[in-house]
Amino acid sequence: MKVSLNWLQSYVDLTGVSAEDISRAITFLGFEVEQVIRTGAPAFNNVVVGHILTRDKHPNADKLSVCTVDVGAAHGGVRTIVCGAPNCDVGNSVPVALPGAVLPGDFVIKEAKVRGQASSGMMCSAKELTLSHEAHGLLLLNGGLPAGTPINAALPTGDTVFDIEITPNRPDCLSHLGVARELAAWFKKELRYPEVSFTPASIGASHRTDLLKSIRVDNPTCCPLYTATVITGVNVGPSPEWMQQRLSAVGLRPINNVVDIGNYVMLEYGQPVHAFDAHKLAGAELIVRSATEGEKITTLDGKTRELGSPMLVIADAHKPVVIAGIMGSADAGVTDVTTDLILEVASFKRQSVRATGKRLGLGSDSSYRYERGVDVHSLDEAAHRFIDLILAHAGGQVAGPIHRVGGDQPWEREITVTPAFINAKLGFEIPAEFIKTSLESLELALVREEQSEDDSLTWTFSVPSWRDDLDRPIDLVEEVVRLYGTEKIPSSVITAPGLVGNDDPIVLFNRRVTDALVGQGFNEAVNYTLRPGKELAAWATPAAVADLALANPFVEDQSHLRPTLVSGLLETLQLNQSRGVAASQFFETGRVFIERNGQLSECIAAAFIIAEDTGERTWRTRETADFYTAKRHTATICALAGIELERQPTSLVPVPAHGWQEGHAATAGDIKHGWTSTFGLVSLAHLKSLGITGKVYAGFFAIVSEKVSAEAERRSYKPFGLQPAALRDLALVVPEATSSAEVQKALAKVARAAVGTAFALEAVHVFDVYQGKGLPEGTKSLAYSLVFRAAERTLTDEEVNAVFTQIQAELLKITPYQIRK
Amino acid sequence: MQDLLSALIAKAASELPTVVTRPDFDAAKARYVGPNGELTALMKQMGSVPKEQKPVVGKLVNEAKTALQAHLDAALARIEAAALAAQLGPAVDPTLPSPDRTPGTQHPLTLVREEMTRILRKVGFTVVEGPEVETEYYCFDALNTPADHPARDAQDTFYLPESARFGNVAKKNPDEKYLLRTHTSSVQIRTLLKGQPPIRIVSPGRVYRRDTTDATHSANFHQLECLYVDKNVTVRDLKALLDYIFASLLGKDTKTRFRPHYFGYTEPSFEVDLSARHLPKVNKEWIEIGGCGMVDPIVFKDVGYDPEVWSGYAFGMGLERLAMLLYGIDDIRYFYQNDARFLRQFA
Repeated sequence: MKVSLNWLQSYVDLTGVSAEDISRAITFLGFEVEQVIRTGAPAFNNVVVGHILTRDKHPNADKLSVCTVDVGAAHGGVRTIVCGAPNCDVGNSVPVALPGAVLPGDFVIKEAKVRGQASSGMMCSAKELTLSHEAHGLLLLNGGLPAGTPINAALPTGDTVFDIEITPNRPDCLSHLGVARELAAWFKKELRYPEVSFTPASIGASHRTDLLKSIRVDNPTCCPLYTATVITGVNVGPSPEWMQQRLSAVGLRPINNVVDIGNYVMLEYGQPVHAFDAHKLAGAELIVRSATEGEKITTLDGKTRELGSPMLVIADAHKPVVIAGIMGSADAGVTDVTTDLILEVASFKRQSVRATGKRLGLGSDSSYRYERGVDVHSLDEAAHRFIDLILAHAGGQVAGPIHRVGGDQPWEREITVTPAFINAKLGFEIPAEFIKTSLESLELALVREEQSEDDSLTWTFSVPSWRDDLDRPIDLVEEVVRLYGTEKIPSSVITAPGLVGNDDPIVLFNRRVTDALVGQGFNEAVNYTLRPGKELAAWATPAAVADLALANPFVEDQSHLRPTLVSGLLETLQLNQSRGVAASQFFETGRVFIERNGQLSECIAAAFIIAEDTGERTWRTRETADFYTAKRHTATICALAGIELERQPTSLVPVPAHGWQEGHAATAGDIKHGWTSTFGLVSLAHLKSLGITGKVYAGFFAIVSEKVSAEAERRSYKPFGLQPAALRDLALVVPEATSSAEVQKALAKVARAAVGTAFALEAVHVFDVYQGKGLPEGTKSLAYSLVFRAAERTLTDEEVNAVFTQIQAELLKITPYQIRK
Repeated sequence: MQDLLSALIAKAASELPTVVTRPDFDAAKARYVGPNGELTALMKQMGSVPKEQKPVVGKLVNEAKTALQAHLDAALARIEAAALAAQLGPAVDPTLPSPDRTPGTQHPLTLVREEMTRILRKVGFTVVEGPEVETEYYCFDALNTPADHPARDAQDTFYLPESARFGNVAKKNPDEKYLLRTHTSSVQIRTLLKGQPPIRIVSPGRVYRRDTTDATHSANFHQLECLYVDKNVTVRDLKALLDYIFASLLGKDTKTRFRPHYFGYTEPSFEVDLSARHLPKVNKEWIEIGGCGMVDPIVFKDVGYDPEVWSGYAFGMGLERLAMLLYGIDDIRYFYQNDARFLRQFA
């Protein structure tokens, strides 16, 4: 809200207080000052009123004149000044900057020679004095001022306007009086209310019931109080200059005295008011009712709006004339020829105004105030002020009683508080006397003061009706500390009694994943959670995509919750490739949302991508990543969640493979058991559609948030043999569709059985995979290395060979595998 | 004999330096000192040497043996050194850059979050997490945000359809809607409901606002929030925390100041300004950094804590904003574009 300093001065004397100090006061009272705007002329030194006595053409320049100017005896009497303005005519009164003056922009005026002609000062334009953005020759002053008068006396006084943000708890400060009250309390000054000479008792005998006979409120819940007053015989014309200046200063365009006074009262008291042209209303009754479906109104902004229930309107016999609390109709508005008025001052329920405004997409200074809360108990005061100003500046007379429907509940609220309570909450001492005077300066009246035997005080304050936000002792703590000055809250040493718990397992997991992947040369990326729906088709089933949609997305490309982190990482890669930035490894940790049976689970996830195209050439080529690189990194992430990936059933991603390449990406885990992972090659077609060059390998791991476990169990030591190992290699020819895991499992089982308890099979691992020449069609060879060891002795060849032979015989017997010789 | 031995040594001295490979060396060695070698053969003649000459001849043979061995050792050392040298290429150019990819990096938001949680950990705050999909109760109701508050508008808050079902985010009331949390304060409520005072937690996390994305706004961003609940917690304690945090982050002479403000769930409430001298690209004496206040008694009541017994404070701030101030970053969108040239600047 914009607040004019000149206007504030009507209620609180801030003479001698700088704009900076006021701005600071507003800030520390709890309202952010967004902007301070100064209007009018700044204070000038050595700039005076001058009277042009003579004007001659400059001998050496066509466009210049040489004038003699009377600048007053105190400033050297008559001076010769060279001037380029066309209007330096004899007899004009103009501003003269004397040598020594400093004009805005640090423009210093000196005695000078202009084209050989001495010039003792400068006559000024409005622009040079920063009164206007344009220069139209010299600024011509009112001729009545004597030469030598300081220029500020000849110029309109400026104003300072503070654009301040009023917090939602303080609707009382959406008014100049409210802000003045705060400043009066801060600067310890008196608050002066406007003088209102109108009272209901002063209403004369003439009652124009033909214009307004009665008011009917159909919906008292939404309109607790409605008042209307008839004023006849007004002259609509311009409002007084001072009022126009104040309204203009705070950004309102002056229209006419009636409209301006309405706005003035609203900005003074915070109470919205409205004036109708009484002759434009059908019938003599105003009805506060719900709009009927499809009813139309053309509002003051010229737009026709369709109304509907339960929007609240003020209507005459035929039509709505105001959307309650928001905007009046153009039809019933005051114009230049209006003579008789009905002044409305009413209270509307904030929720009702808000809902209507929201539905219509319509807001106004009035609705802004109603939505935040207008004090119904100050309504009469504002209404009287409205009438008073109309009578004073538009003339006319009150023609009938103030119609009043609805009763305001009497306001009564008291808070009992002790200085000890306030100081205990603050943790430092503010003197009791300061507390008391602070609260009183905010117009909280001390109702009772009790002193107990130990001298401690208990106060009961009554709360003014406009401070609905004050209800409990704790609310007074804030009032006191505000006026004390929050800058003065003392610093102290932090007291931290040992409350050491463990960080959330999710935090630990994310931290470890980040460390691990950073250690592997990945750049951490952060992408938006909200993704475009069409992108997700590559990563989730249509049913899941539907479930991930937001009810009210803001923009189309951020419409769905993400079910994967890979799509974001691909976008990251795309951006870097398109910018020609060399980068090929990214990862992200964050939350994803995974659908199962129509239900979503919020999951903790980590993902990475490795691009084949690194975006740069290096002088030596390094080996590129493949499926198994992705598997390794995925296994690392799984391990940090306590899952050993190599022991999990792993299968190729099902067809259709979504964003993953069929036959080159695998999945392990299932969200129904709490976690899932997918890794391998990203679909080449998908990459092509994204414009990404080169292959991209990726891995994704997600675990339902509550399944992330705390610290892993402490491992216990397993002894390991110190004797030499015996190695045997065995190549098996198997059908090509057989998985390595299956063969390894069968081999290990047979080998363990063959070894029995004589010694141990320490490890089985695949070391070669071959397919092609020398093997039957449709088969492949998997070569395994078997490591045998005994705990206490060196194994003999004989015993190992015996076992090895037995293993081969057993495999041939129970599996379809052949031994490759 | 002496002549024979001398001739043998001379032959070895001329032949062995020409031997290049290990097999050739082994063959040569056999020719001299092997069972059928020439020295061996000469030594076998010792038997036919007259007894009185034996000491002299024996000495000669031993000297020859030593000399021969020296030639052999030298040859072997040379061959082995050559074999090792053969494993090497030419000397490297140490000024060439490594062709391996550049090291991994943590995102600046991670760096800032971790720095803040480390600072807070030292004074007893533990890090907690909460769901990003929340319900109206945890995000608004329990935080004293009335049903008609503008923040709850579908204009400002992302909602999920009423039909949305979540397996692991429980609703407090059956008819409330799921939404994307607008602040991490929802974690306060979850912690208060779950925990036992005293409580001292910090909850960093992602939050969502229905905002137009521009240089300072983003559809999702990150907050970090502290909550402390104990007996007799005061405004002064809150100030002490803020002073501690920013002195740890920016240096001992960093100052904070409070300005009164309004938040529904704290009373009194303050905005926190930071003395900006230590920040790059900030041309102001003070800069706003977050909001804080004393937990409103109504919040305590709502989660079943007696406000006469328990008191507390809360402080929250935006992590992007902090990172922008600390690093002098001027556009929030850079955090989400992940240009590697940006990411590599902070590691």
